[in-house]
Amino acid sequence: MRAIQILVDGFAISSLYSLAAVGFTLIFGVSGVLNLAHGGIMVVAALVGWLAAGELGLGTYAGTLVGVLAGLATAYATYLVVVRPIQRSRAIRPEETEIFVLTGTLLWGIMIQVGMAYLFTDNPVTIRPLISGVVSIFGVRTPANEILIAVLAWAVIGLLWLLVNRTRTGKALLGASMNPRGVTLLGYELTQLYLVAWGIYGVLAGIAGVLLASFLGVSTTNAGQLTASAFSIVVLGGLGSVSGSLIAAYVVGYLETATAYLIAPTLRPIPSLILLVLVVYVRPQGFLGRR
Amino acid sequence: MAFLRSRLFWIAAAVVVVAALLPFWVSIYLLSVLTAAYYFGVFAMAWDLLFGFAGEVNFGPTFLIGLGAYTAAILNSTAGLPIPVCVVAGALAAVAGGILLAVPALRLRGPYFGLVTLVAVLLLQNFVVIFASVTGGEIGMTVPDVLSIDASVNYWYALAFLVVCAALLFGLSRSAVGLILQASGQDAVEAAALGFNVTKHKVAAFCVSALFSGTAGAMLIFYMGTASVDTVVDIAIGVQIIIAAVLGGRRTILGAALGAVFLIVANEFLRPLGQLNTFVVAAIALAVILFFPEGLLGYALHRGERE
Amino acid sequence: MSGAVRLQVGELAKRFGGVVAVKNMSFDLKAGEIVGLIGPNGSGKSTVMSLIMGIARANSGTIKLDGVDISGWPAHRIARSGVSIVFQHSRPLQRQTVLENVKLALLPDSLLRLATEASVGERAREIAERVGLGGVLHRHPWTLPFADLRRMELAKAVARDPKVVLIDEPFAGLTPTEIKVFSDLIRTLRDEGRAVLLVDHSVKSVAALADRVIAMYLGERIAEGSADEVMQNETVRRVYIGGKIEAVERKSAGAGQAPTLLQLDAVEVFYGKTKALDRVDLRVRQDEFVSIVGLNGAGKTTLFNAISGLVPYRGAIRFGERDLRSQTAASIARGGVVHCPETRELFVHMSVRENLDLGGGHLSKSERQRQLDWVFDLFPILEQRQAQAARTLSGGEQQMLALGRALMMQPKLLILDEPTLGLAPVILGQLSKAIERLRQERSLTLLLAEQNVTFALPHSDRVYVLDHGRITWQGDPVRFAEEMSTGYL
Repeated sequence: MRAIQILVDGFAISSLYSLAAVGFTLIFGVSGVLNLAHGGIMVVAALVGWLAAGELGLGTYAGTLVGVLAGLATAYATYLVVVRPIQRSRAIRPEETEIFVLTGTLLWGIMIQVGMAYLFTDNPVTIRPLISGVVSIFGVRTPANEILIAVLAWAVIGLLWLLVNRTRTGKALLGASMNPRGVTLLGYELTQLYLVAWGIYGVLAGIAGVLLASFLGVSTTNAGQLTASAFSIVVLGGLGSVSGSLIAAYVVGYLETATAYLIAPTLRPIPSLILLVLVVYVRPQGFLGRR
Repeated sequence: MAFLRSRLFWIAAAVVVVAALLPFWVSIYLLSVLTAAYYFGVFAMAWDLLFGFAGEVNFGPTFLIGLGAYTAAILNSTAGLPIPVCVVAGALAAVAGGILLAVPALRLRGPYFGLVTLVAVLLLQNFVVIFASVTGGEIGMTVPDVLSIDASVNYWYALAFLVVCAALLFGLSRSAVGLILQASGQDAVEAAALGFNVTKHKVAAFCVSALFSGTAGAMLIFYMGTASVDTVVDIAIGVQIIIAAVLGGRRTILGAALGAVFLIVANEFLRPLGQLNTFVVAAIALAVILFFPEGLLGYALHRGERE
Repeated sequence: MSGAVRLQVGELAKRFGGVVAVKNMSFDLKAGEIVGLIGPNGSGKSTVMSLIMGIARANSGTIKLDGVDISGWPAHRIARSGVSIVFQHSRPLQRQTVLENVKLALLPDSLLRLATEASVGERAREIAERVGLGGVLHRHPWTLPFADLRRMELAKAVARDPKVVLIDEPFAGLTPTEIKVFSDLIRTLRDEGRAVLLVDHSVKSVAALADRVIAMYLGERIAEGSADEVMQNETVRRVYIGGKIEAVERKSAGAGQAPTLLQLDAVEVFYGKTKALDRVDLRVRQDEFVSIVGLNGAGKTTLFNAISGLVPYRGAIRFGERDLRSQTAASIARGGVVHCPETRELFVHMSVRENLDLGGGHLSKSERQRQLDWVFDLFPILEQRQAQAARTLSGGEQQMLALGRALMMQPKLLILDEPTLGLAPVILGQLSKAIERLRQERSLTLLLAEQNVTFALPHSDRVYVLDHGRITWQGDPVRFAEEMSTGYL
């Protein structure tokens, strides 16, 4: 009984984690950026979605869509206002660009978090479930919405896989993550590819934020924790490895759910933290990392 | 170089004298803000030694600060030891923690070192919460002893501490060891080819950073009379330290202190804006990174040297 | 003349993943002698240097300094034992003055030393003056000219009174006068009784200085002796220039009337202080095959990077009617100027087929299939291995893949940079045939850069010689064979 509950809940939360983590690792692989404003983007999507669905009366579906678009816009703002200017700045030495981008995205994330709290609210917001009803899985009563979220998360990941492996742009993106110069020599404009990458990332983070709001609720105070989770999962899975992130998301998701159910809800983050420490010392490149 | 130092020295001396005389003109409120800012200044300078010189990014300076702070606090409240003993114990605890962290972490390349430092903070945070019976958990704990009840006296303690630390750290940065550290941070291969054990020097830098961070953390506790996760362990504090150092100018040591004072004072100044003050400070810091990556002091010092 | 054996390298071997960099290398270095270790790119000479200095660790073999085995020691310990290295690229501490940079080299590896003794400052000054930096002691490295930075590197190496001095590419980027000054400085080192090892790709540059020369190829020693002996050695000549230079009369139909496809006028490229290309004028006509020959460091890759838009340059580069300066690198490639670089830049984790498909990404599906069929016909081995990851291919196969991928782009002008680098002779034959087929089956203009003159000549309508960034000779292959075969090495 408990076990099945853990299995089901763990699956749902892991699917959401995987969606958030895949975006994070994608942008690191292609653009080389560890985006510390990641949680902020998800929070914007959630808040705007809530606002559009509820206060502005657009209804759940339209509201969700608006939320995702807001996430996309925020991702682009992050790239064009913070990341790209720092990467192109001549005043910064090339070896130091990484730390400046990190600090810059960190500050930007803080700005988003505080700005959103000020403009709207710092209370948790939820978006009404996309579908209502309860389904019974092996005797465990689960909200249908939770199933839908897991399905949606997988559908999006599947679409992403198709995009990367079957379309020309997707393969060019994959190439850019391995060898930017090689892609340029084959006639692909890197500036355009980066814009596409950040766009995909924005959509992924937006969907993750909106779905999270639908499942558990999101508040601006979560922004830091969301970034930290995505970060840990991506490190566990291996920076730059999408399949690694997927696997790690499930490992972390299940560890947390099991801990919450079997030990205590307050100790939720501990096992994955310990795992993170072990991995960083024993195998810093993560499960499947190649960088 | 020598000329610059003497000009800098006289300006710094003037600033210190003015600062020492402030309690006679300024409100208690402002004094308390500055007192906190001075301790923060030591945090920032210790961070700059590690980053600006040894070239290592510590994303979790509050690991070292928190270790020093809580060790001192626990010793004082449970064993009743006098303040100086507790502060020294805190400093040693931080150094021990620093070595434990640095030795394995320095074997890692690139972003992984920063990750380990970040994880260390998260672990300490959770540790404090779990052992709430001793540490007071998320609410925090109080300590029976304080440095002083008088705001002016506390202020002078903080100022003196800042000046001593600044002198020591600055002197270190300009010394022979400082030169070796710079080489280790800028070009480890060349430093090794010149015969320097880079790992040894970086661990030493870590320990020095830990020593100052831990001592400052402990002193801060005995100023405030309380210790809590929010004030000495939280990642947000670490972020502010990094911002202060980058704002003030990396590799200047003194710039980090300036940046810290600026940041704390700006925070207070903007308090009427409510939550928005964090927004404004972050925005200003972001603007500095985008347009003046050398930092305020770095920019001022190098204006003459630019090619 | 030379004295005791200072350094003994015995059966040294080093591999990086699947690539064997050094294979069974043995030699001695005596006090008071200058030895030149020469070899083309990929011969393993720089790796040998890294191994001696402890920057890389050998897989097997021994390195003995005065009889003590130092292989496996960390670099700083080897340095303290009396070995100094001057890297190919200068590595100054940018934020310190020249004097402070040299002082650093004099400091002991101590955690506790806070103040430097006055004598250290004095010694630093002496050493700096000895190498000719007396006038710039208080300046910062970024204000100094290139040659002074090299002097500073030498000063740092010499400061610790080393028994063995390793110098990588001592004369790269220096003018003839500067070369003379440096040679004198290096001679002084020898006369002081130190053991000096010079690593370079060109025998000519170290010939005047070296007492003994050791030639390397594909990780092993192929010749040893005086500079003259090595230069005349059959194996060395074959390895460097591919053998005897024979020219085949090319039947190039109406080459004089074809329109100019690529034109370079007074092109200059600077890397920091170094002038990598000096007023290069070049012209390639439609359907011509033009070769640029020159040794490592001559500037061939820089030239190609400028044409492809990858580095900034002065001067004019025109492709047909268009000035290439206004275009991005990717659009230059799409416009028909396809660059197959020396480093190949393959997508190593992708399959052969995926690499080729990406090359043909701008074509329609049917066009891409046709082009792919042609490339597979040209290089059947690629068709066999199409599902394999590029990383698993051998060196020769990787080169074919790089070339195939470039051909997928349907180039009007194909720029091929050193395709024979590090490849075994049998692969060269296959590549040569492939290039010949390219000429016959497609309307293709080729600009080829090669060290291996024997490979390049049969495919060339015209030849340019590039030396230290300048075009020093141009003409047809027959004239090249007559005039250049002796003086080339």
